[in-house]
Amino acid sequence: MHLGATLRLLRVDAGLSLRDLARRIGVSSAYLSRVEHGVDAPPTQERLTAIARELDVPPALLMDVANRVSPYVAGYLEDVPAAGTLLLDIARRKLTGAQLARVRAFLDAEFPLREARGDEPVPALGALLCAERVVVQLSCEDYADALDVASGRLASALPGLDVAGLAEGLRQREDETPSQVGNGVAVPHAFVPGAAPVAALVTLARPLKTDAPDGQPLRLVVALVDGHLGRARLMRLAHVARLAGRGLAHRLQGAEDSRQVLETLAELEALR
Amino acid sequence: MNTHMLAQLLVQLIVIIGLSRLIGRGARWLGQPLVIAEVVAGIALGPSLLGLISPGALHWLFPADSMPFLKMLAEVGLVLFMFLIGLELDPKLLKGRGHSSVVISHSSIIVPFGLGAVAGALWLYKSLSDPSVPFSSFVLFMGVSMSITAFPVLARILTERGLMQSKLGAIAIACAAVDDVTAWCLLAFVVSLVRASSLAQAGLTTLFAVLYIGFMLMLVRPFLARLGARVASREGLTQNVVAGTLLLLLASAWTTERIGIHALFGAFLFGAVIPKEGGLATALAEKLEDVTVVLLLPVFFAFSGLRTQIGLLDTAQSWMTCGVIILLACLGKFGGSAVAARVTGLRWREAGAIGVLMNTRGLMELIVLNLGLDLGVISPTLFTMMVIMALVTTFMTSPVLKWMYPPEEQARDQMEQLAREPAGAAQTPSAYTVLLCVSHGQAGPGMAVLSRALSGERNEASLYALHLLSPDRALKARAEDALDVTGASGSALTPLMGRAEKLGLLVRTLSFVSSEPARDICRTAEAKRADLVLLGWHKPLFSQTVLGGTVHEVMQESTGTVAVLVDRGLSQVRRVLVPFVGSRHDRAALGIARRLLKQAGAEVTVLHVTSPEGAGTGRAQVDELFPADEGAAVKLKVVRHASPEEAALEEARAGYDLVVVGVGSEWGLEDRLFGVQRERIVRDAPGSLLLVRHPEGAPALARSPAPQGQQGATPDAAQVVGARS
Repeated sequence: MHLGATLRLLRVDAGLSLRDLARRIGVSSAYLSRVEHGVDAPPTQERLTAIARELDVPPALLMDVANRVSPYVAGYLEDVPAAGTLLLDIARRKLTGAQLARVRAFLDAEFPLREARGDEPVPALGALLCAERVVVQLSCEDYADALDVASGRLASALPGLDVAGLAEGLRQREDETPSQVGNGVAVPHAFVPGAAPVAALVTLARPLKTDAPDGQPLRLVVALVDGHLGRARLMRLAHVARLAGRGLAHRLQGAEDSRQVLETLAELEALR
Repeated sequence: MNTHMLAQLLVQLIVIIGLSRLIGRGARWLGQPLVIAEVVAGIALGPSLLGLISPGALHWLFPADSMPFLKMLAEVGLVLFMFLIGLELDPKLLKGRGHSSVVISHSSIIVPFGLGAVAGALWLYKSLSDPSVPFSSFVLFMGVSMSITAFPVLARILTERGLMQSKLGAIAIACAAVDDVTAWCLLAFVVSLVRASSLAQAGLTTLFAVLYIGFMLMLVRPFLARLGARVASREGLTQNVVAGTLLLLLASAWTTERIGIHALFGAFLFGAVIPKEGGLATALAEKLEDVTVVLLLPVFFAFSGLRTQIGLLDTAQSWMTCGVIILLACLGKFGGSAVAARVTGLRWREAGAIGVLMNTRGLMELIVLNLGLDLGVISPTLFTMMVIMALVTTFMTSPVLKWMYPPEEQARDQMEQLAREPAGAAQTPSAYTVLLCVSHGQAGPGMAVLSRALSGERNEASLYALHLLSPDRALKARAEDALDVTGASGSALTPLMGRAEKLGLLVRTLSFVSSEPARDICRTAEAKRADLVLLGWHKPLFSQTVLGGTVHEVMQESTGTVAVLVDRGLSQVRRVLVPFVGSRHDRAALGIARRLLKQAGAEVTVLHVTSPEGAGTGRAQVDELFPADEGAAVKLKVVRHASPEEAALEEARAGYDLVVVGVGSEWGLEDRLFGVQRERIVRDAPGSLLLVRHPEGAPALARSPAPQGQQGATPDAAQVVGARS
């Protein structure tokens, strides 16, 4: 996953200019631009938190995208060193996402939270997909072809929408900001006023050589369509970037039918 | 300026703008551009009308000591306006417009320039100038002032007549752009000549001017392109950028003024070098346009109106002279461009229309004339005559154009153009898109041959080959894929790609796993905006019919024309038969045959089967689908036969490479999920067949590539249109 590309994607989608965001978080726009292009080191936790606040997404989500330990967790580990030992135990057992979800379910039952969790849950990608909107083993010569196929599947979930128009919309957005978030994943997205959010997922049989921010060939396309701009949409985008960082493209590469794709995704998403 | 003067200026502005808008309403009613109203308002406020009616009012409104302020305001307005003109001038208009534009634009400058110069030399210099004016300057100036074309007025008239997208409009706007640039360069040269005291100084001025133009093109232009790219990237046009641009504009105007050509050229040049791609030019134009055109430009018109003294033309002889000048101006500009247009092969009507359009002088002429009057090259009398000439030539454009090139003619020409274009050499690559759906390898080569014929020698079609894998075969195909590095994915596409490569075809392949092949074919076709979905057919195990199963589903769901190729060793498409009764499928089949005729030169025979009792309408329909000269290239056979199917089959045995036939019961071809009917024509015809189905309600016919090609030729012309009059 490429943090810079993801940050740019989110920033553009939030309608902020480079200079705007830089000014609001108190850095130079040149620095922010370098971060977005991956030339500069990833931002510190404080800056990431500030960026998350300006973009109006949960800071924890961005921390996850950046593979950073949340400052809250870091503070807790300092206060209660024993918790670190527990984490080490989990790590030794190499628990998967599904197993972690069970651990959390146990915690929820045993030690219910008194106040609601600070962060609202991030909407799952799996809920936006269905078997019909998963295309496996596409082989094509151009990224545009993949967008066309994805919009073909998306359009059947969006009545009254013309396939070519939707593909055009996705391409247009793509021209504004490249939607590749690294690790072989692209998140083309379009805004269709009033539409309920839906997604289509396309795995590529032959990785495509595109100019990805981290130089990895494209293996997975997750196309998102939204009817409302704003927080939920940004969180979905960031969530896909986070999944990309957790090796989504690699995990889905072997999938042979859409059911397998959805199962793998469910496991990866079990603990959001 | 004291407060009294400010009050004076404000009153002047109110009167000028108010009167221009008032007369503007009248001009609109007469179908004239607003510029006419503004010029007339200016003249009416000057000594020609207001001065005659009530000299006191004129003095009260425009006292002599207020003139310098008005003049300065007018000059600033002009600088901004010339900048806008430069902004509208897209360099793309200047090049790549083809032979006719070059010829027309050149002759539309040279002829009037020559006429103006000769008239100036032989006649006007003696009668209307005084000896203090250098002979050469006067002659050159007369030449330039005759050869002006008003680019903005022209663009406005073209838009209003809906001619912008037509060939005529494209030629006219390109010529006007060339004329504009050339005339300004000439004028700059003349101004430098007039201002210079000696020949050496004139040479120096010219040298500096050329150096400056080089500087702007080589250094400032790339810089602006970079600035434009930054501004276009959603940063928005901030006030800082606007201020910076205005500073550069003023600096450029100042430089040219110092060099000795006029400030206007600097403004124009700077506008012209601002990149037209990206949003910078448009955004700047939007910001400046209203203030310039609504507020400042009328001041300029009023100012030149104040200097126009129709009273100076007090003898019959001077009116005669004025008439002759108008005649010469029209003769040079109209005659020059119309004859050139005719020579390049336009019809007289179109050529005349171009001539009339080029004869529009509008406000550009006024700018030139004011310059001449300021420099003292022309006398107030000649100035007045020339202003009247500019008014008359602009005024006559709309009505004469309507008379010479009425809307019916325009419509006819555009229709003809659409029909003619595909055969023309200058045709742009069409967007004719074919989706080739391959399920089995054996159908591939025949589809490649057919695609070759559909796309023609110049590869004027986008071809996509789609292969859908059924879910249980996915794994196998993927294993093969890993070995396949040539680009053709899966074994099914290999024969197609192999043949396509031999035929020099560009085909983009696409393949994925699909559990609903028919729906995915239709969706992909929609996404690619395919004009034709071509399905390959192979003899299935159980069903006897072609039009069953997936083919049936595709035919039912598709929103465009679907064709099934029954390949019996198709290796060339030379002789094509189209059995024709007249259904929409038959017409679509004829449309495909027409494309084969045009792109591959196939010999098309239309077999029109009429019932023994009914009269045939076949010729009419063939004529309708094959317009003009092509109709002759199509052989039409009319047969009366009780069974169209039988008749078609008989004819098909006469050695055709391909029979293109619409589906329908008359041919024994009906698409049903489970076909039990016999499809005799498929079973018994010796050659290959193409079965065509056209959905209800879709545009009738495989569309000809002309409309897109035509629009593609002038996409930037629309940008040129300012909301200016």
